[in-house]
Amino acid sequence: MAEVITVPQVQPVQPALRFLRVIPGVLLLAAVGYAGKLLEQNVGAYAKAHHWTFPNIEYVLWAIVLGLVISNTVGVPEIFRTGVATYEFWLKAGIVLLGARFLLGDILKLGGVSLVLVAIEIVGSLAFMTFLGRAFKLKPKLTTLLAVGSAVCGVSAIIATKGAIEADDEDSSFSIAAILALGALALFTFPVIGHFLHLSDKAYGLWAGLGVDNTAEATAAGALYSDAAGKLAVLVKSTRNAMIGFVVLAYAIYWAGKGQAQAVGNKAAFLWQKFPKFVLGFLLISVLATYHFFNKDQVGALANLSRWAFLLTFAGVGLRTNFSEMRKQGLRPFAVGAIGEVAIAGFTLALVYGASKIFGW
Amino acid sequence: MSAEVVAGKSGSRWKPSLDTWAVLVAFLLALLVRAGVFKHVPW
Repeated sequence: MAEVITVPQVQPVQPALRFLRVIPGVLLLAAVGYAGKLLEQNVGAYAKAHHWTFPNIEYVLWAIVLGLVISNTVGVPEIFRTGVATYEFWLKAGIVLLGARFLLGDILKLGGVSLVLVAIEIVGSLAFMTFLGRAFKLKPKLTTLLAVGSAVCGVSAIIATKGAIEADDEDSSFSIAAILALGALALFTFPVIGHFLHLSDKAYGLWAGLGVDNTAEATAAGALYSDAAGKLAVLVKSTRNAMIGFVVLAYAIYWAGKGQAQAVGNKAAFLWQKFPKFVLGFLLISVLATYHFFNKDQVGALANLSRWAFLLTFAGVGLRTNFSEMRKQGLRPFAVGAIGEVAIAGFTLALVYGASKIFGW
Repeated sequence: MSAEVVAGKSGSRWKPSLDTWAVLVAFLLALLVRAGVFKHVPW
Protein backbone atom coordinates (compact mmCIF):
# COMPACT_ATOMS: atom_id res chain seq x y z
CA MET A 1 0.00 0.00 0.00
CA ALA A 2 1.26 3.37 -0.88
CA GLU A 3 2.23 5.46 2.11
CA VAL A 4 1.11 9.04 1.94
CA ILE A 5 3.54 11.59 3.29
CA THR A 6 2.15 15.07 3.72
CA VAL A 7 4.75 17.75 3.36
CA PRO A 8 3.71 20.73 5.48
CA GLN A 9 3.58 24.02 3.66
CA VAL A 10 6.65 26.08 4.38
CA GLN A 11 5.60 29.29 6.05
CA PRO A 12 6.97 32.24 4.09
CA VAL A 13 9.04 34.74 5.98
CA GLN A 14 6.99 37.86 6.73
CA PRO A 15 7.83 40.69 4.29
CA ALA A 16 8.49 43.08 7.21
CA LEU A 17 10.93 40.61 8.77
CA ARG A 18 12.64 40.07 5.41
CA PHE A 19 13.00 43.83 5.05
CA LEU A 20 14.51 44.14 8.55
CA ARG A 21 16.99 41.35 7.77
CA VAL A 22 18.52 43.21 4.83
CA ILE A 23 19.08 46.47 6.72
CA PRO A 24 22.42 45.64 8.45
CA GLY A 25 24.00 44.40 5.21
CA VAL A 26 22.73 47.35 3.17
CA LEU A 27 24.15 49.70 5.80
CA LEU A 28 27.48 47.85 5.54
CA LEU A 29 27.41 48.23 1.73
CA ALA A 30 26.71 51.95 2.14
CA ALA A 31 29.45 52.36 4.77
CA VAL A 32 32.09 50.54 2.70
CA GLY A 33 31.08 52.33 -0.50
CA TYR A 34 31.03 55.74 1.17
CA ALA A 35 34.40 55.05 2.81
CA GLY A 36 35.71 54.36 -0.71
CA LYS A 37 34.33 57.70 -1.88
CA LEU A 38 35.92 59.54 1.07
CA LEU A 39 39.25 57.79 0.45
CA GLU A 40 39.19 58.86 -3.21
CA GLN A 41 38.67 62.49 -2.20
CA ASN A 42 41.03 62.61 0.76
CA VAL A 43 43.96 60.38 -0.18
CA GLY A 44 44.52 62.29 -3.44
CA ALA A 45 44.28 65.66 -1.66
CA TYR A 46 46.62 64.50 1.14
CA ALA A 47 49.21 63.17 -1.33
CA LYS A 48 49.04 66.42 -3.30
CA ALA A 49 49.43 68.55 -0.17
CA HIS A 50 52.54 66.55 0.80
CA HIS A 51 53.93 66.57 -2.76
CA TRP A 52 53.76 62.80 -3.04
CA THR A 53 53.42 61.06 -6.35
CA PHE A 54 50.32 58.95 -5.87
CA PRO A 55 48.00 57.64 -8.61
CA ASN A 56 44.44 58.91 -8.54
CA ILE A 57 42.52 55.88 -7.31
CA GLU A 58 38.80 56.01 -8.05
CA TYR A 59 36.15 55.27 -5.41
CA VAL A 60 35.25 52.17 -7.42
CA LEU A 61 38.60 50.54 -6.65
CA TRP A 62 38.69 51.76 -3.03
CA ALA A 63 35.20 50.32 -2.39
CA ILE A 64 36.12 46.96 -3.96
CA VAL A 65 39.46 46.75 -2.13
CA LEU A 66 37.91 47.67 1.23
CA GLY A 67 35.26 45.00 0.68
CA LEU A 68 37.89 42.42 -0.30
CA VAL A 69 39.96 43.20 2.80
CA ILE A 70 36.93 42.78 5.11
CA SER A 71 35.74 39.60 3.38
CA ASN A 72 39.17 37.95 3.35
CA THR A 73 40.34 38.92 6.85
CA VAL A 74 37.60 39.23 9.46
CA GLY A 75 34.92 37.87 7.12
CA VAL A 76 31.34 39.08 6.73
CA PRO A 77 29.31 38.16 9.87
CA GLU A 78 26.05 36.30 9.31
CA ILE A 79 23.89 39.28 10.29
CA PHE A 80 25.16 41.28 7.28
CA ARG A 81 25.00 38.54 4.64
CA THR A 82 21.37 38.90 3.54
CA GLY A 83 21.82 42.62 3.01
CA VAL A 84 25.20 42.27 1.27
CA ALA A 85 23.54 39.87 -1.20
CA THR A 86 21.33 42.79 -2.34
CA TYR A 87 24.27 44.25 -4.28
CA GLU A 88 22.80 42.69 -7.42
CA PHE A 89 19.51 44.50 -6.82
CA TRP A 90 21.38 47.83 -6.59
CA LEU A 91 23.33 46.98 -9.74
CA LYS A 92 20.16 46.40 -11.74
CA ALA A 93 18.39 49.47 -10.35
CA GLY A 94 21.54 51.50 -11.14
CA ILE A 95 21.59 50.23 -14.73
CA VAL A 96 17.91 51.15 -15.24
CA LEU A 97 18.56 54.67 -13.88
CA LEU A 98 21.68 54.97 -16.05
CA GLY A 99 19.36 54.68 -19.06
CA ALA A 100 18.52 58.39 -18.51
CA ARG A 101 22.05 59.24 -19.70
CA PHE A 102 21.59 57.48 -23.04
CA LEU A 103 19.66 58.91 -25.94
CA LEU A 104 17.82 56.30 -27.98
CA GLY A 105 19.79 57.21 -31.12
CA ASP A 106 23.08 56.50 -29.32
CA ILE A 107 21.77 53.16 -28.11
CA LEU A 108 20.67 52.18 -31.60
CA LYS A 109 24.00 53.29 -33.09
CA LEU A 110 26.23 51.73 -30.43
CA GLY A 111 23.84 48.86 -29.78
CA GLY A 112 23.96 47.91 -33.49
CA VAL A 113 27.76 47.70 -33.47
CA SER A 114 27.86 46.01 -30.09
CA LEU A 115 25.17 43.51 -31.15
CA VAL A 116 27.39 42.30 -34.00
CA LEU A 117 30.44 42.09 -31.70
CA VAL A 118 28.36 40.39 -28.99
CA ALA A 119 27.10 37.77 -31.47
CA ILE A 120 30.68 37.00 -32.58
CA GLU A 121 31.87 36.92 -28.95
CA ILE A 122 29.10 34.56 -27.83
CA VAL A 123 29.60 32.07 -30.67
CA GLY A 124 33.42 32.18 -30.34
CA SER A 125 33.36 31.84 -26.53
CA LEU A 126 30.83 28.98 -26.49
CA ALA A 127 32.84 27.05 -29.09
CA PHE A 128 36.18 27.62 -27.37
CA MET A 129 34.98 26.82 -23.84
CA THR A 130 33.27 23.65 -25.09
CA PHE A 131 36.51 22.60 -26.77
CA LEU A 132 38.50 23.33 -23.58
CA GLY A 133 36.03 21.44 -21.37
CA ARG A 134 36.37 18.38 -23.60
CA ALA A 135 40.17 18.68 -23.75
CA PHE A 136 40.33 18.80 -19.91
CA LYS A 137 37.75 15.98 -19.65
CA LEU A 138 35.35 18.04 -17.52
CA LYS A 139 31.81 16.72 -17.02
CA PRO A 140 29.66 17.77 -20.04
CA LYS A 141 27.15 19.77 -17.97
CA LEU A 142 29.94 21.52 -16.08
CA THR A 143 31.44 22.44 -19.47
CA THR A 144 28.05 23.81 -20.55
CA LEU A 145 27.80 25.96 -17.41
CA LEU A 146 31.33 27.32 -17.81
CA ALA A 147 30.69 28.01 -21.51
CA VAL A 148 27.44 29.90 -20.84
CA GLY A 149 28.98 31.76 -17.88
CA SER A 150 31.89 33.04 -19.92
CA ALA A 151 29.98 33.65 -23.15
CA VAL A 152 26.88 35.42 -21.85
CA CYS A 153 26.65 36.88 -18.41
CA GLY A 154 28.38 35.19 -15.57
CA VAL A 155 26.47 34.10 -12.51
CA SER A 156 22.92 34.87 -13.74
CA ALA A 157 23.48 32.82 -16.89
CA ILE A 158 24.91 29.91 -14.90
CA ILE A 159 21.94 29.91 -12.52
CA ALA A 160 19.45 30.15 -15.39
CA THR A 161 21.19 27.33 -17.29
CA LYS A 162 21.55 25.13 -14.21
CA GLY A 163 17.76 25.01 -13.81
CA ALA A 164 17.12 24.48 -17.52
CA ILE A 165 19.59 21.61 -18.05
CA GLU A 166 19.20 20.08 -14.57
CA ALA A 167 22.90 20.33 -13.71
CA ASP A 168 24.31 19.39 -10.29
CA ASP A 169 24.64 21.97 -7.51
CA GLU A 170 28.33 21.10 -7.35
CA ASP A 171 28.83 21.90 -11.06
CA SER A 172 27.13 25.27 -10.73
CA SER A 173 29.19 26.11 -7.60
CA PHE A 174 32.38 25.25 -9.50
CA SER A 175 31.36 27.42 -12.46
CA ILE A 176 30.22 30.36 -10.33
CA ALA A 177 33.46 30.26 -8.28
CA ALA A 178 35.58 30.19 -11.46
CA ILE A 179 33.65 33.04 -13.09
CA LEU A 180 33.76 35.19 -9.93
CA ALA A 181 37.49 34.60 -9.30
CA LEU A 182 38.32 35.48 -12.89
CA GLY A 183 36.02 38.50 -12.77
CA ALA A 184 37.92 39.75 -9.71
CA LEU A 185 41.21 39.35 -11.59
CA ALA A 186 39.77 41.18 -14.61
CA LEU A 187 38.98 44.18 -12.39
CA PHE A 188 42.68 44.69 -11.78
CA THR A 189 44.10 43.62 -15.16
CA PHE A 190 41.70 45.15 -17.71
CA PRO A 191 42.31 48.83 -16.79
CA VAL A 192 46.09 48.27 -16.70
CA ILE A 193 46.06 46.66 -20.17
CA GLY A 194 43.69 49.34 -21.47
CA HIS A 195 46.01 52.14 -20.33
CA PHE A 196 49.07 50.27 -21.59
CA LEU A 197 47.49 49.98 -25.07
CA HIS A 198 46.18 53.60 -24.91
CA LEU A 199 42.67 52.41 -25.71
CA SER A 200 40.07 55.15 -26.19
CA ASP A 201 37.15 55.26 -23.74
CA LYS A 202 34.91 53.83 -26.43
CA ALA A 203 37.22 50.94 -27.35
CA TYR A 204 37.92 50.12 -23.70
CA GLY A 205 34.23 50.31 -22.71
CA LEU A 206 33.35 47.90 -25.51
CA TRP A 207 36.15 45.56 -24.47
CA ALA A 208 35.14 45.56 -20.78
CA GLY A 209 31.50 44.90 -21.74
CA LEU A 210 32.50 42.03 -24.04
CA GLY A 211 35.38 40.50 -22.10
CA VAL A 212 34.31 40.63 -18.42
CA ASP A 213 31.64 38.06 -17.60
CA ASN A 214 29.71 39.12 -14.55
CA THR A 215 27.66 42.31 -14.90
CA ALA A 216 28.86 43.83 -11.61
CA GLU A 217 32.53 43.28 -12.50
CA ALA A 218 32.02 44.51 -16.09
CA THR A 219 30.39 47.70 -14.75
CA ALA A 220 33.22 48.19 -12.24
CA ALA A 221 35.98 47.41 -14.79
CA GLY A 222 34.49 50.03 -17.13
CA ALA A 223 34.04 52.65 -14.38
CA LEU A 224 37.64 52.12 -13.24
CA TYR A 225 38.83 53.38 -16.63
CA SER A 226 36.54 56.41 -17.05
CA ASP A 227 32.95 57.51 -16.70
CA ALA A 228 32.40 57.26 -20.48
CA ALA A 229 33.98 53.79 -20.64
CA GLY A 230 31.78 52.70 -17.72
CA LYS A 231 28.63 53.84 -19.54
CA LEU A 232 29.58 51.94 -22.67
CA ALA A 233 30.61 48.81 -20.74
CA VAL A 234 27.11 48.74 -19.19
CA LEU A 235 25.45 49.11 -22.61
CA VAL A 236 27.49 46.30 -24.19
CA LYS A 237 27.10 44.04 -21.15
CA SER A 238 23.33 44.64 -21.20
CA THR A 239 23.30 43.61 -24.87
CA ARG A 240 25.06 40.38 -23.86
CA ASN A 241 22.58 39.89 -21.01
CA ALA A 242 19.69 40.27 -23.46
CA MET A 243 20.95 37.14 -25.26
CA ILE A 244 20.72 34.95 -22.16
CA GLY A 245 17.29 33.49 -22.98
CA PHE A 246 18.28 32.35 -26.48
CA VAL A 247 21.49 30.64 -25.32
CA VAL A 248 19.83 28.94 -22.33
CA LEU A 249 16.93 27.82 -24.57
CA ALA A 250 19.38 26.31 -27.09
CA TYR A 251 21.18 24.36 -24.35
CA ALA A 252 17.89 23.28 -22.74
CA ILE A 253 16.73 21.85 -26.10
CA TYR A 254 20.12 20.17 -26.62
CA TRP A 255 20.11 18.45 -23.21
CA ALA A 256 16.41 17.56 -23.49
CA GLY A 257 17.24 15.93 -26.87
CA LYS A 258 19.76 13.75 -25.04
CA GLY A 259 17.10 12.83 -22.50
CA GLN A 260 19.02 14.51 -19.67
CA ALA A 261 16.71 17.49 -19.08
CA GLN A 262 13.01 18.25 -19.29
CA ALA A 263 11.65 19.27 -22.70
CA VAL A 264 10.84 22.96 -23.11
CA GLY A 265 7.11 23.46 -23.67
CA ASN A 266 6.24 27.05 -24.50
CA LYS A 267 9.43 28.53 -25.96
CA ALA A 268 8.15 32.12 -26.00
CA ALA A 269 7.23 31.89 -22.29
CA PHE A 270 10.65 30.35 -21.59
CA LEU A 271 12.40 33.25 -23.38
CA TRP A 272 10.33 35.84 -21.49
CA GLN A 273 11.01 34.14 -18.16
CA LYS A 274 14.77 34.17 -18.76
CA PHE A 275 14.92 37.66 -20.31
CA PRO A 276 16.60 40.16 -17.96
CA LYS A 277 13.81 42.69 -17.27
CA PHE A 278 16.25 45.40 -16.21
CA VAL A 279 17.36 45.67 -19.86
CA LEU A 280 13.77 46.67 -20.74
CA GLY A 281 13.74 49.16 -17.85
CA PHE A 282 17.02 50.65 -19.09
CA LEU A 283 15.59 51.05 -22.63
CA LEU A 284 12.32 52.55 -21.36
CA ILE A 285 14.10 55.18 -19.22
CA SER A 286 16.30 56.12 -22.19
CA VAL A 287 13.18 56.49 -24.38
CA LEU A 288 11.68 58.83 -21.74
CA ALA A 289 14.95 60.82 -21.58
CA THR A 290 15.12 61.02 -25.40
CA TYR A 291 11.61 62.52 -25.55
CA HIS A 292 12.43 65.06 -22.78
CA PHE A 293 10.23 63.54 -20.11
CA PHE A 294 13.03 64.62 -17.75
CA ASN A 295 14.68 68.04 -17.86
CA LYS A 296 18.45 68.49 -17.70
CA ASP A 297 18.58 68.78 -13.90
CA GLN A 298 16.39 65.72 -13.50
CA VAL A 299 18.68 63.70 -15.81
CA GLY A 300 21.59 64.80 -13.59
CA ALA A 301 19.69 63.71 -10.49
CA LEU A 302 18.91 60.29 -12.03
CA ALA A 303 22.57 59.87 -13.06
CA ASN A 304 23.64 60.57 -9.46
CA LEU A 305 21.06 58.11 -8.10
CA SER A 306 22.56 55.55 -10.48
CA ARG A 307 26.06 56.33 -9.11
CA TRP A 308 24.85 55.78 -5.53
CA ALA A 309 23.33 52.45 -6.54
CA PHE A 310 26.62 51.44 -8.19
CA LEU A 311 28.52 52.52 -5.07
CA LEU A 312 26.63 49.86 -3.08
CA THR A 313 27.24 47.35 -5.89
CA PHE A 314 31.00 47.87 -5.94
CA ALA A 315 31.20 47.46 -2.15
CA GLY A 316 29.21 44.23 -2.56
CA VAL A 317 31.58 42.93 -5.25
CA GLY A 318 34.44 43.12 -2.73
CA LEU A 319 32.45 41.87 0.26
CA ARG A 320 31.14 38.72 -1.43
CA THR A 321 34.54 37.71 -2.92
CA ASN A 322 36.25 35.25 -0.61
CA PHE A 323 39.37 33.70 -2.09
CA SER A 324 39.68 30.83 0.41
CA GLU A 325 36.09 29.74 -0.38
CA MET A 326 36.96 29.81 -4.08
CA ARG A 327 40.11 27.73 -3.56
CA LYS A 328 37.98 24.99 -1.98
CA GLN A 329 36.13 24.52 -5.28
CA GLY A 330 39.11 22.82 -6.94
CA LEU A 331 41.67 23.67 -9.55
CA ARG A 332 40.59 22.00 -12.78
CA PRO A 333 37.43 24.02 -13.54
CA PHE A 334 39.34 27.12 -12.49
CA ALA A 335 42.16 26.24 -14.92
CA VAL A 336 39.66 25.74 -17.76
CA GLY A 337 37.97 29.01 -16.84
CA ALA A 338 41.29 30.86 -16.62
CA ILE A 339 42.60 29.59 -19.97
CA GLY A 340 39.23 30.31 -21.57
CA GLU A 341 38.95 33.79 -20.07
CA VAL A 342 42.45 34.80 -21.14
CA ALA A 343 41.71 33.56 -24.67
CA ILE A 344 38.30 35.34 -24.71
CA ALA A 345 39.88 38.56 -23.38
CA GLY A 346 42.49 38.40 -26.19
CA PHE A 347 39.84 37.52 -28.77
CA THR A 348 37.48 40.33 -27.73
CA LEU A 349 40.40 42.79 -27.59
CA ALA A 350 41.24 41.86 -31.18
CA LEU A 351 37.56 42.29 -32.14
CA VAL A 352 37.37 45.73 -30.55
CA TYR A 353 40.72 46.74 -32.03
CA GLY A 354 39.50 45.70 -35.49
CA ALA A 355 36.19 47.56 -35.02
CA SER A 356 37.99 50.68 -33.76
CA LYS A 357 40.13 50.68 -36.94
CA ILE A 358 37.04 50.26 -39.15
CA PHE A 359 34.93 52.89 -37.38
CA GLY A 360 37.81 55.23 -36.52
CA TRP A 361 37.26 55.30 -32.70
CA MET B 1 7.46 0.53 -0.25
CA SER B 2 6.48 3.41 -2.41
CA ALA B 3 5.82 6.85 -1.07
CA GLU B 4 3.50 9.40 -2.55
CA VAL B 5 4.37 12.92 -1.68
CA VAL B 6 1.46 15.28 -1.27
CA ALA B 7 2.62 18.83 -1.12
CA GLY B 8 0.86 21.30 1.10
CA LYS B 9 -1.42 23.82 -0.52
CA SER B 10 0.67 26.39 -2.28
CA GLY B 11 -0.51 29.79 -3.46
CA SER B 12 -0.16 30.81 -7.11
CA ARG B 13 0.38 34.50 -6.39
CA TRP B 14 2.71 36.29 -8.79
CA LYS B 15 5.99 37.06 -7.09
CA PRO B 16 8.16 39.66 -8.80
CA SER B 17 11.75 38.60 -9.54
CA LEU B 18 14.77 40.56 -8.33
CA ASP B 19 15.00 42.10 -11.82
CA THR B 20 11.39 43.23 -11.68
CA TRP B 21 11.82 44.73 -8.21
CA ALA B 22 14.91 46.62 -9.39
CA VAL B 23 12.97 48.02 -12.36
CA LEU B 24 10.00 48.99 -10.17
CA VAL B 25 12.18 50.75 -7.59
CA ALA B 26 14.18 52.55 -10.31
CA PHE B 27 10.97 53.76 -11.96
CA LEU B 28 9.54 54.89 -8.64
CA LEU B 29 12.71 56.93 -8.03
CA ALA B 30 12.54 58.34 -11.57
CA LEU B 31 8.93 59.40 -11.02
CA LEU B 32 9.82 61.04 -7.70
CA VAL B 33 12.59 62.97 -9.44
CA ARG B 34 10.19 63.93 -12.25
CA ALA B 35 7.55 65.06 -9.73
CA GLY B 36 10.13 67.26 -8.03
CA VAL B 37 10.19 65.33 -4.72
CA PHE B 38 13.96 64.90 -5.18
CA LYS B 39 15.09 68.20 -6.72
CA HIS B 40 18.81 67.70 -6.34
CA VAL B 41 20.71 64.49 -5.72
CA PRO B 42 24.27 65.27 -4.65
CA TRP B 43 27.27 63.14 -5.55
